[in-house]
Amino acid sequence: MNVVIIDYGLGNVASLSSAIKEVKNCNLIVSNSEQDIFQADKLILPGVGSFDQAMANLRSLDLVRIITSAAESIPILGICLGMQILCSSSTEGSLTKGLDLVAGEFNKFVSTEYTIPHIGFNQVDVSNPSILFEDISDNPDFYFVHSYRLHSAENILSHRTQYIDSFISAFESKYIFGTQFHPELSQTNGSKLLQNFLDYDA
Amino acid sequence: MSTKIFWCQSCLNMSTRPRIEFNGEQICNACQWSKEKSVFDWTKREEELQNLLEKYRAKDQKSFDCVVPVSGGKDGSYVAHVLKTRYGMNPLTVTVRPALSSNIGNRNLSAFIEAGFNHVHVSPSATVMQKLNRLGFIEKGFPYYGWLIAIKTAVIQTAMNFKIPLIFYGEDGEVEYGGSTENKNKALYSIDYMKRVYFEGGYEKVFSKVLEDPGVSEGDLAFWQFPSDEEVKTHDLAFTHWSYFEPWDSYRNYVVAKEHCGLEEKEENNSGTFTNFAQNDQKLCSLHFYLMYLKFGFGRTTSDAGIEIRRGAMSRDQALNLVRLFDGHYPEEFIEEYLEYYQMDITEFNGVLDKYANKDLFRKEKNSNSISEWKPNFAVDVEFEI
Amino acid sequence: MLRKRLIFVLIYSEGFFCQSRNFRLQKVGKVDWIIDNYKFSEVSKYIDELIILDASPTKDIARFCDDVQIIIENIHIPKCFGGGISSLGGVSKLFAAGADKISINSLAFDDPRACKEIISQYGSQSIVASIDYKSEDGHEIVYKSNGTIATGIELSQHVNFLNEIGFGEILLNSMDRDGTGFGYDLDKIISISNLSTVPIIALGGAGNKNHFHAGLLIENVGAVATANLFNFMEDALGISRDYLLEEKINLAKW
Repeated sequence: MNVVIIDYGLGNVASLSSAIKEVKNCNLIVSNSEQDIFQADKLILPGVGSFDQAMANLRSLDLVRIITSAAESIPILGICLGMQILCSSSTEGSLTKGLDLVAGEFNKFVSTEYTIPHIGFNQVDVSNPSILFEDISDNPDFYFVHSYRLHSAENILSHRTQYIDSFISAFESKYIFGTQFHPELSQTNGSKLLQNFLDYDA
Repeated sequence: MSTKIFWCQSCLNMSTRPRIEFNGEQICNACQWSKEKSVFDWTKREEELQNLLEKYRAKDQKSFDCVVPVSGGKDGSYVAHVLKTRYGMNPLTVTVRPALSSNIGNRNLSAFIEAGFNHVHVSPSATVMQKLNRLGFIEKGFPYYGWLIAIKTAVIQTAMNFKIPLIFYGEDGEVEYGGSTENKNKALYSIDYMKRVYFEGGYEKVFSKVLEDPGVSEGDLAFWQFPSDEEVKTHDLAFTHWSYFEPWDSYRNYVVAKEHCGLEEKEENNSGTFTNFAQNDQKLCSLHFYLMYLKFGFGRTTSDAGIEIRRGAMSRDQALNLVRLFDGHYPEEFIEEYLEYYQMDITEFNGVLDKYANKDLFRKEKNSNSISEWKPNFAVDVEFEI
Repeated sequence: MLRKRLIFVLIYSEGFFCQSRNFRLQKVGKVDWIIDNYKFSEVSKYIDELIILDASPTKDIARFCDDVQIIIENIHIPKCFGGGISSLGGVSKLFAAGADKISINSLAFDDPRACKEIISQYGSQSIVASIDYKSEDGHEIVYKSNGTIATGIELSQHVNFLNEIGFGEILLNSMDRDGTGFGYDLDKIISISNLSTVPIIALGGAGNKNHFHAGLLIENVGAVATANLFNFMEDALGISRDYLLEEKINLAKW
């Protein structure tokens, strides 16, 4: 199986690579080449950094076109900023547009009572059956580190987490998957989720 | 008849430690005392201290009024500093030069003096010191026996010569770290106690033995002589431990010495332990601790861990990990120097170590480099019988 | 509900990992020593995050990154690296070495504008501000450059400043408590965690699980951390975590 971590200059690629290699025996490459991406069985879109910078990098590498096209037939998992990129837009930076593969807009957390960013382990409501959370216990803890979040998204199976208010912490459809949290930093729950995604047969 | 070997349930002191006492719950006297210290009425002791100081304080405000033996390390520095700044005494600090002093030891002593203390540096004859140390090593398994004696005798003589009867040693190790509790409630202690407990009864024997050496005369041993009981009385000498008057806390001493007396730590762990701020002054110290390990089954890490446990900085379980990792270190980094110092070859040297290894506790085995090593027959904290 | 965190800190200096006591460093061992005695792949199962700080008097970021990469191999938990960051270049090196977050200390004083640039490039959630403070005449004064230079700035004032710049978290380190095993500076942690708009990680003084407990009971504290290399060897962190969970402290389970 070919797994490609999309390299657009932002993302904790090393962490992700080693976490994936531990759960799945696969041909793993980190790349932004069109050829590699289209030959993948699974795609992972990582993300650590700012949304503006991310979209700028994706545009300059022609990855907006490539990813949009690839995601029609190859399952893709967007992690944290990667999840944000898959969506319509974010108010981070200057209302930049994302890939718009999922209809939903990211906004910043607002609170005078709670500290922002949202940093640490928090539970995900996994009561709806799903691919990502198969065989994972109820109310599992995953590691979050973000200031922007998705309140709602159309036409996609969503799982929610409570922090200040309720937001979407993971979504999935036939080819598009996203997690706000970092499965590669989330101990056994995270490893299982990655494995579920990698084992999934669309 | 077999003996059960066990560990204190509160720290990791071993039942093999000389003179140590345990209660019904297998808690050693050091831990019992440590608990007592926190609820103890120290005001009485403070009063006793004030009275003692009043009695000996220089009335003319011109002379020294107490002697504090120091090495430049944390404990003596602390005591001298407190006597001067908190109690307004005029201490004369005294160091008896050890053999094989370390660079950091020398630096710390200089820093201490520069911090503003009156100091006398006593250097007993290095050749006689060497003979006494060597004899002590062979006859008693005490690598710096000559120095252990001199820090009592030479200090007392200095005190007598300066007409300062009051001498403040640091802590009574027996009470603080495990051992005889006979002086627990006594402010002053005696030369007899020094000979019996600190020198483990070997003073007279080593003395007469060293005189068999044609190169040593009675006069050469002048610095190692105790005053007679008469002289103690006429000079009104008073030997005391600071730990009697104030709760002894070595970490506190370290922090104060660092702040006020220029104390520097080693850059790395001292060999055989996890600390870097205690007993840094002389290289024979590591050998002393290794012999302790061979004789009794516990080394420097166990002692240091006990201190950390008792001051609440570490739990017993945490300490156990450290003891398993660091204890019983063979001081190979100093062996060449030891051999040169003692004028021995490695066979003779190891022969002395072999003599003191407790064969019930240790067995000799070849390691992966085919070198014979003493290996413990026991696992730390697992009771066994011998 | 957001969990609190238990974090382990490694202090690095010139090739060695160190035990710090009141900011005096004792070299304990090089990378191999840590690997042998701190089986991090095991230990990482009991902690929420790992922080590795370069406290070398003279920095060699390449060597630091090399050594750190060996430690974190096969460690899948959030990692924060820091020490001597003075530019975007340094930040990118640390991220390239595997950091999930990076920590900045002196640069907040020396060049707040550069800090803002770093935050805007990488996102506030990835940039931690670390503060080293000491008590002097009844005030808490912040130090920089591995605790060697007094800034004269009072702690709460500095925290407000850091909140304004936009750091995502604050690592609050008591120099007085550091390495003593006396427990955290609880009063200060309470007041600063009530003051700060970003999460506080408390550091300095933890010697045993009871200290962690007391720290985590503080309502607004985000995490407790220890850099005590000796006290938490072998299974001690696991035992601490189990104990905290038994005491119903809000920590993640997996």
